[in-house]
Amino acid sequence: MYLSRIFNSLNVSMQEQYMTELLELNEKTKEYGLVLSLKDVQLMMAARSQALYSYGRVELSIEVTKELIEVFSTSSFIQQENYVDTLNELHEIFYYLKNETEDRINDIKLLHRMKEVFEDDCEGSLDLLKSRLEEYAEEFRRQLLKKESLLEGEDEYWDLKI
Amino acid sequence: MGSENLNDRRELTVQGGIRKSRLQRNQYTISLMNEGLRAGLLTSQEMMRIQNAFMQILQELIKKYTQGESTSVTTETAESILTSIMYAADAYLFSLEEPEKAITYLKTIDVRQIYERGVEKVSQCFEETKQLFKEITANKLEVPVDAYNMTIDESLPVFLRKYGIIFDAHNTMASIDYPLALDDMRLQGVFYMKQYLERLKLETKFCALFDQQELLDLLVHYGRECRFNYRIELFNIYELMLNNAIFSILSGGDADEIRISEGQYKRLEQQFMSLTEPQIRSVISDAMGRLQQELPINSQLKEYMDGYKEDLAKRVANAAKHNNLRTVIITEREGGAKSIVILFNEKDRMSDVQLRRLLHEILACERKEDKVKLILSSFHSFHDYLDMLESDCLYGDEYDALFHAFGDMELAILAKIVFYEELRSETLDLPSILLLENEYPMEWQMRFVQCLQGMSRERLQAFEKYMDEMDYEQMKFY
Repeated sequence: MYLSRIFNSLNVSMQEQYMTELLELNEKTKEYGLVLSLKDVQLMMAARSQALYSYGRVELSIEVTKELIEVFSTSSFIQQENYVDTLNELHEIFYYLKNETEDRINDIKLLHRMKEVFEDDCEGSLDLLKSRLEEYAEEFRRQLLKKESLLEGEDEYWDLKI
Repeated sequence: MGSENLNDRRELTVQGGIRKSRLQRNQYTISLMNEGLRAGLLTSQEMMRIQNAFMQILQELIKKYTQGESTSVTTETAESILTSIMYAADAYLFSLEEPEKAITYLKTIDVRQIYERGVEKVSQCFEETKQLFKEITANKLEVPVDAYNMTIDESLPVFLRKYGIIFDAHNTMASIDYPLALDDMRLQGVFYMKQYLERLKLETKFCALFDQQELLDLLVHYGRECRFNYRIELFNIYELMLNNAIFSILSGGDADEIRISEGQYKRLEQQFMSLTEPQIRSVISDAMGRLQQELPINSQLKEYMDGYKEDLAKRVANAAKHNNLRTVIITEREGGAKSIVILFNEKDRMSDVQLRRLLHEILACERKEDKVKLILSSFHSFHDYLDMLESDCLYGDEYDALFHAFGDMELAILAKIVFYEELRSETLDLPSILLLENEYPMEWQMRFVQCLQGMSRERLQAFEKYMDEMDYEQMKFY
């Protein structure tokens, strides 16, 4: 697990840059009535680090967080008062899902899938989102297993297109 | 302030340069850096700079690994890629031979260059390994030893196909079952594999110096001695041959002989029983010397053979002490008493389609008597019987009914298979094996044991007689 910490510390020099980039997103999100203060961003980054650490993941950049903010800020189910908490939960769910889908789905596709379920199926309920996505991951793994057993004997490669 | 003082004191006491004993081949760069720091050849700032440079390489490789589809990976993946990076760095720094030189390089050369030169080394080693593999397959011994054949025909090709120089350099990713006489497991990845193949090549070269029929006979005698089916056991062929060649010299035979007659065995036994361990060592060493002189053996093979001398001396001394020299000196022994030759011919097997249809029919039978009748009338091949038993098409007391319908010969064959491990001990007879109440992996085996446990002593004795007369050489288990 130490790598996760090393990466975070390596990124210390990038922290300021990250903060600025995230704060700049306010320009886009404020049209939906959502804004993050510097304190909010700091808290969110701390929660993100915690999520990465607890799911045993190493993150190289801030792109997922930026995309998460851009994609979800358009949702009518997210209000300013629950904005930061929701983003923290979404980070948690995203990294959980990356593990559960065995890194086979690309970041952007996964984020959009989350948004879709959040909007249509769960109507903004994070608890429901979690349980729906658990089912989704389970089904995904079942399909993966089926596909792998069909391909048995052949060389396996990183296949994100599944 | 306090910590500064501590540091000062440490700087003063760590003189004396690199201690090679503290360096590990497997984690060469890391152990080198730690040792460099301890010996004052590296400062902690330099250490940090080097570590950071490796982490930069890691970041780039993770991006390559995910092909830009993901910006995060699991810690295990990252660690594995980092290990692969360090494997390459180790390859280059270790090739510099002098640790001090390696440290100077770490201090003065861009870490990325060290890594890239390492990747070249790994890649070059991989090419050499492929070449060696070609030579091994071209000179492969014709022996019915599964571990040897599978390692060469299946495991090694899998390794060559799957080995990844960038992301998996440290990974050995092949199940190499065939044991070498001398193996160095401290190595990993392609360096291990290259060394494995180099040694296998030497061993094969040695084995090829002898008459191949004698080799096949030796295997048979070895199987008899150990009371097992040598085809499926893990043992080293070269070791067997080298032992017997040495014993041949020591008992008046030629250097290129590996047959040891009963008479030669008696002579060797007498000789070894009267010698002390140092004397045995010297006798074996002399014989090894003669062997190396009389056979066309090059310096590499000679060195490899010498590495085994001590091992053999110990084994002989130990066997002499415990009065079981026969386990080391494989003597020609006739199957003699084994009068039964059962022909199990692969070609007698029915096709998969036929077998499947029959299994369905068996399942469809309602009465156990009908099932047994159908089985006895339709199955003729030993392999098909095994397939049928393993297919779970029988339930409960149907097994019992079938086993009771079998004759002594069939029961004897099944018992030889089920009690394979137990029968290796010369002291166990069938009734005492049944008392052991061992667990068996398959349902039919458990049922078989239960059925035998319920049989009278006379019945057991009747087919045990056949078991003693059967050799595993006639049986192939799959």
